[in-house]
Amino acid sequence: MDILNNLLYGFSLGLQPSNILACFLGVLMGTLVGVLPGIGAPGAMSILLPVTFRMSPISAIIMLAGIYYGSQYGGSTTSILINIPGEATSVVTCLDGYEMAKKGRAGPALGIAAFGSFIAGTLGIVGLMIFSSPLADFALKFGPPEYFSVILLGLTIITFLSQGSKLKAYMMGAFGLILSSVGLDPINASPRMTFDILQLWDGIGMVPLVVGLFGISEVLINIEAPATREILKTKIKNLLPSALDWMQSKWAILRGTLVGFFLGILPGGGAIIATFVSYGLEKRLSKNPEEFGKGAIQGVAGPESANNSASSGAFIPLFTLGIPTNVTMALLFGALLIHGMRPGPLLLKDHPELFWGVVSSMYIGNVMLLVLNLPLIPLWVKVLKIPYRILFPLILLFCIIGSYSLNNSIFDVLVMFIFGVVGYLFRKFGYDPAPLILTFILGSIFEQNLRQSLLLSKGSFSIFFASPISACATTLALILFATSFVPFGKLRGRRPQ
Amino acid sequence: MNIRDVGSGLFWLAISFFVCYKSFSMGIGTFRSPGSGFLPFWSGLILGILTIFLIITSAVKKQGKVSMAKLWGGMQWPKVILALAALFIYAILLPTLGYLIATLALMIVLFNLMGRPKLWIQVVGITGTVFASYIIFYVWLKVQLPAGIFGF
Repeated sequence: MDILNNLLYGFSLGLQPSNILACFLGVLMGTLVGVLPGIGAPGAMSILLPVTFRMSPISAIIMLAGIYYGSQYGGSTTSILINIPGEATSVVTCLDGYEMAKKGRAGPALGIAAFGSFIAGTLGIVGLMIFSSPLADFALKFGPPEYFSVILLGLTIITFLSQGSKLKAYMMGAFGLILSSVGLDPINASPRMTFDILQLWDGIGMVPLVVGLFGISEVLINIEAPATREILKTKIKNLLPSALDWMQSKWAILRGTLVGFFLGILPGGGAIIATFVSYGLEKRLSKNPEEFGKGAIQGVAGPESANNSASSGAFIPLFTLGIPTNVTMALLFGALLIHGMRPGPLLLKDHPELFWGVVSSMYIGNVMLLVLNLPLIPLWVKVLKIPYRILFPLILLFCIIGSYSLNNSIFDVLVMFIFGVVGYLFRKFGYDPAPLILTFILGSIFEQNLRQSLLLSKGSFSIFFASPISACATTLALILFATSFVPFGKLRGRRPQ
Repeated sequence: MNIRDVGSGLFWLAISFFVCYKSFSMGIGTFRSPGSGFLPFWSGLILGILTIFLIITSAVKKQGKVSMAKLWGGMQWPKVILALAALFIYAILLPTLGYLIATLALMIVLFNLMGRPKLWIQVVGITGTVFASYIIFYVWLKVQLPAGIFGF
């Protein structure tokens, strides 16, 4: 009953005109960035973050959250029509979605992706409502050692799962911690590595850093080597899946929902992994696995459901533990702090209006997305046809305005420019910026909890093994770090036949 | 030898030394009482150790040779330089020229960077972008865009 009452309270907030508008803008922009390969949800959120300063915290988070789960819907459109994933979580959809489109079944592919996303997103929100309160109560037992250990584990998992070289990923993580320490010491307020630049006393801005690393660098890479996008010339019809399509997809949607939700809670590429796991599962369980990769509708339904329910699951650690599980959640974490709210177990107690307002808006947003994604597909196709040489100046302009409007400061634009160059060089030299951004955003609370723990234990690291929670998390983190560099593939090759 | 990784590794090694050196002046403290430089020092040290591993493994690797030239060979990197120069000059001149004039100039450069669209597309695209962004951000969202010496 409590959940129902809280949800009704949430709807009383979510259905306010300002919040409906914020939700609509968020899901619309999310779908747009999902459709357009390049900028991605993190870039879009960081650009629009300063715009949210004029909104209430609830409206701001509703809009930013809408961009996130909206982008999951939009990403499938390019996967199916161009064979280029709009988002990393839509990579798997290319395998069968594009094949369906080549066979003249683009409509059912787009339709089942939209409906599967809607069902999974809705069920994911139910899971978010059910699990958040108990987890928040559990998290109240956390002290500095527990927080430090769980954050360490989260950062290790994310780095472990990042693309490319693990060694380079850990280097990025370390560099992110270094960047996070620029500014005033959070404990004694003495300036650190500010080089007598006043603007650095508040640290390096999150928005210019993320916009530079993601937005500007992506544009530079595309200017250097323009990718050709050829939209499949096919009639998009029968967007409403047939009875046979539903029969074939229903279990894939339900399984994808469960897989996505629970994997979305885990730090790391939860949604991305969820899509691969869902695809693998559907192929394994299918009576006709040979059809996968050739246009099996389950190959679209499962992963697209998984990525949407994962986006709901990802909110749980953020709201209840105050630990973001991926870059997008880290940005939301930063946004909550900027709006004066500390994510964590006390968020549900101190600001229930935020939690339940956002939850109710996610229901509303999922309905909006279903409406936006089906009838507006011809519009999205037209958007896809806009040449990149027209799009990239707009993207750059939004990046600049987003960075500038944070503090009305040219310094932030210059920071964005510098990190744009840095991000471009990272890509050329094979460094994944995602671990850097995560450690950068979490660096401050990571450091505070580390130093507080050491003060409590008088310098002994055994405090991180004292309680069951911190002992498990710390041990797991150490094991993951140690096994990161073990060449399992080579060891398997050496086993006697 | 992977020159790309060895080269970048030397850069990171320099960063690591610099950060560790600066941390001493901030005061590393002790494990009992960590100082301001505690996290930067240990992060810098970890970065340095990982970088040494990278340099060593890249230097002894016989396969996967990636030269610096290959990174930019066949790419339109001059356009990247041009885009960066345009962005940098824009950032410097924005407070002086004001948003409308500076952005108009930037858009003219960027719209022509990857080929020359038809004149009407340029005119509509550039002016539409500048004025639409002005209305959305300055008028509607009340973002304080710089006015410059001309007052707009």
